[in-house]
Amino acid sequence: MKNIFNKIPLLFTLFLFCVFLIFLLQDKNPAHPPSALLNKEIPRFQAEDLIKNNFIIDEKILYGKKTLINFFASWCSPCKVEHPMLIEISERHSDILLIGINHKDKKSDALNFLKIGNPYEHIAVDSEGSIAMNFGVFGLPETFITNEKGKIIFSHIGPITEKIYNEKIKNLL
Amino acid sequence: MIYTGQFLIIFSLLNNFISLLIFFYNLKTKSLLIEKIFLFLTRLNTLLIFLAFLFLMYLYIISDFRNINVFFNSHIDKPLIYKISGVWGNHEGSLLLWILIMSIYTFVFSFNRSLDNKTKNLTIFFQTTMILGFLVFMLLTSNPFIVNLSNISQGMGLNPILQDPALAIHPPLLYFGYVGYSLILSFALAGLINNKIEISWIKTAKKYSMFCWLMLTFGITAGSYWAYYELGWGGWWFWDPVENASLMPWLAGIALVHSLQIANNNTQIKKWVIFLSILCFSLSLFGTFLVRSGVLMSVHAFANDSYRGIFILIIFFIVTGFSFLIFLIKTNTIEKEPSVLVFNKFTALIINNIVMTIACFTVMLGTIYPILLETVTNERITVGAPYFNSTVVPIVLPGLLLMAIAPTLAWKNNKLNEKKSYLTIFLLIIFLLLATYMFSDQNLWGLIGISVGIWIIIASIIQLFKKNAKKQIRLYGGLISHIGVGILILGITISSIWQKEFIVNIEVGEEIIVNNYKLKFENLKESKDQNYVSLKSKFIISNKTNKIGEIEAEKRYYPVSKTVTTEAGILHQIQRDIYVVLGENLNNEWLIKVYFNPFISFIWIGAFIMAIGGFISLGRK
Repeated sequence: MKNIFNKIPLLFTLFLFCVFLIFLLQDKNPAHPPSALLNKEIPRFQAEDLIKNNFIIDEKILYGKKTLINFFASWCSPCKVEHPMLIEISERHSDILLIGINHKDKKSDALNFLKIGNPYEHIAVDSEGSIAMNFGVFGLPETFITNEKGKIIFSHIGPITEKIYNEKIKNLL
Repeated sequence: MIYTGQFLIIFSLLNNFISLLIFFYNLKTKSLLIEKIFLFLTRLNTLLIFLAFLFLMYLYIISDFRNINVFFNSHIDKPLIYKISGVWGNHEGSLLLWILIMSIYTFVFSFNRSLDNKTKNLTIFFQTTMILGFLVFMLLTSNPFIVNLSNISQGMGLNPILQDPALAIHPPLLYFGYVGYSLILSFALAGLINNKIEISWIKTAKKYSMFCWLMLTFGITAGSYWAYYELGWGGWWFWDPVENASLMPWLAGIALVHSLQIANNNTQIKKWVIFLSILCFSLSLFGTFLVRSGVLMSVHAFANDSYRGIFILIIFFIVTGFSFLIFLIKTNTIEKEPSVLVFNKFTALIINNIVMTIACFTVMLGTIYPILLETVTNERITVGAPYFNSTVVPIVLPGLLLMAIAPTLAWKNNKLNEKKSYLTIFLLIIFLLLATYMFSDQNLWGLIGISVGIWIIIASIIQLFKKNAKKQIRLYGGLISHIGVGILILGITISSIWQKEFIVNIEVGEEIIVNNYKLKFENLKESKDQNYVSLKSKFIISNKTNKIGEIEAEKRYYPVSKTVTTEAGILHQIQRDIYVVLGENLNNEWLIKVYFNPFISFIWIGAFIMAIGGFISLGRK
C-alpha cells in the first residue's frame, strides 16, 4: 500500500508525458480551432453568382449532392497556392459540386484570378463577408464539405495541399 | 566578433561536459584537487554564460541586425530600456536568461560551506547536467546567436504590448523563482541519494526555497500589475494558462516553505519535503512547456513550434521522471505516523500543505483538462475563470482561517496561547458577518472574504506586538507575510465583488456624471514619441464639490508593427482606483470605459508585503 503513494508521481508524470506527446504529434494547432459547425446543418445563405448574371445561389442548391465549399479571394495568396489543387479535385471527382465563395473581393479582380482556371460550378459573391460570418470562417482560404443532406462533415482552415487531400479529403468525396 | 556568442555557448557546452566527466572520475579517486577543479569549472561556466548573455545584450543595444534574433525583436528607434528588455522578450533570448539564472544559482550554491562535500558536489552535478540539457536544447532549436551577414539596416521591432517597464522586469524576476527551483530539485535528489536530509540540508533548503518563492511572488505581482493597466480590461488576473503556469509552482512553493518548518525530525515529512522540492521545479518545467510549445492559446503566445514543444516535453519528462524514480527507489524506508490528531503547530502546517497542494492540482486540472479532452475525444472546451474561482477559493478558505493563529500554536502540546482573546475576536467577526448578511443584501462571498482578511491581519498584528515578542523574533518574517496575505485577500475580495464598470459616449469638452462623480473630457492631444504615435486624452474627475484628480488615458500606435495598444489611465487612491480606457471614435463621440475598482491597490501592496516578509525570514539564523 505504501508503495502506491510513491509510485503515483512517477505514473502521473508518465501519463502527462504521453498525453502531451500524442497531442503534439497529432499536430493540432490551437490557433485553428475545429469548426463549430461540424456535423451541423449548413447555414442559410443567399448571394448572386459571380459569373452567371442574375443567378441567385442559396443553400438549397447543394442538397442531394456532396458539396465542397471553398472560401477564397483574389487578394489571398495562399488561395492562389491551393487553386491548382482545387482544379485537380474538380477533375478527379466530377460527381461532386464545387462552390466557391468569393470573400470581400472586387468583381474584376476575382474574374482575373479565375483566368488561371475555374474549378467552381457556382461562385457566390460575398462582398460584405456576411456568408463567411455565418460559416464562422477563421481565415482564408477555408473549405467545408457537406454531405447529401446538407450537413457539414469536414472543415479545413488554410490551403488544401496534396497531403491534406490524400489524408483527409479523398475518402470523404 | 559577431560570432562571439556562438563561441561562448560552445565553450560552455564543452566546459559542462568536461565537468561531468571530472565528476564521474572523481567518484573513484575522491581527490581534493579534482574537486576544486570541478568547482572551478562550475564557476567558469557561469562566467561564460554571463558573457554570452552580455554579448547578446550588447548586440541589442547597438542594434546589430546581422544577428537574426536582434533583427526579429528589435528596432533602431526603440528606447534603450526596451532594447535591453528585448533580450528576454523573445523565446531564444529568454532561454538564454533561463540558463544564465540556472548557472547563477549553481554559482552561489558552490560557495556553500555548511554542507558535506558529497551532497554539494552531487547537487552541482545535477545542475550541470540540466544546464547541459538546456544548452543543447538552445543550440538545436532556439539559438539566439544565428548570424545573417547580409546588410540589414532595420529590425522588425519588439511587440509593443511588451514595451513596458513592469514587463521589462517581470521575466527576470519570475525566472529567479521558476528556475531557482531547479537547484532545490537537484539538492533534494542529492540529499536523497546520499541519505543526508539533515539539519544542514534543511537549513540550506529553507533559504533557497524562500528566496525562490519570494522572487516568484515579485514576478507574478509585476506581471499582474502590467496586465491590469496595459490590457485595459479592468481586471488583473485572468486565469490565463500562462498565469496558471506560474501560479502552480507558487502554490507548491508555499507548501514547501511551510513544510520545511516541520521537517526536522520526521521521516514522513522529510519525504513530503522531497516530493515538494521535486514538484516545484517539475511544475516550472511543465509551465514552460505549456507556454512555449503552443499547445495552449494565451496572451503570451510565444514560440509556436511543435518540434520545440517535443523537446521541452522530453526535458520535462527526463527531469521529472528521473527525480520521481529516485524518489520511489530511495524513500522506502521507515514509516512513522506523525501525530496529526492534536491541534498544534504541526497539524496546522500539515493542513496548510494539504490545502496548497490541492489548490495547486485544482489549477493544474483546469489548465490541462481541455487538452486531455481534446486528445481523447477531439472535442474542444474552454475552462475559464468561473471554474477556478468556484474551486480554488473554497479550497484555500480553511487554510486561510487557520493561518491567522497557526504561528502562535505550540509545537508539541495542545495549547493555544491566549486562547481567549483569539476566540473573542473570531466570534466577534463571525457575529458581525452574520449580522451584516442578515440585515443587508451584500454579497456573501464578499463578506466572508473581508472577514477572513481582517481576521488574518488582526490576529497576526496581535502576535507581532505581543509582549513576549522577543522570544518569537524568528517568526517576524512569517507574520509579516501573513499580514500581506490578509491585505491581499481584502484587495482581491473587495475589488472583484464591488467593481463597477461603465461604458459611456463622450465628446471632447463634455462633462458627464458617472457613479456620482463628475467626469470631464478635458482635451485630446496627439503627440509623437520615439517609436510610437500617441493619442492622449485628459479627464478631470471631481466629486460634488472638489476636484479629485486627473486621468490620462492613452492609445498608442506603433508604426513598426502596425499595432495599437491601450494604456489605461488610472487614478490611484488607497481606497479606490478610477480606471479609464479610451476606446473607439464614433462621429466625434468617444467611447470610453470607466471602472471603479475599490481597494485594488491592496492587491499589490499585500503581495509586496508578503514578499518582504519572505526577505525578513531569509535573514534569520
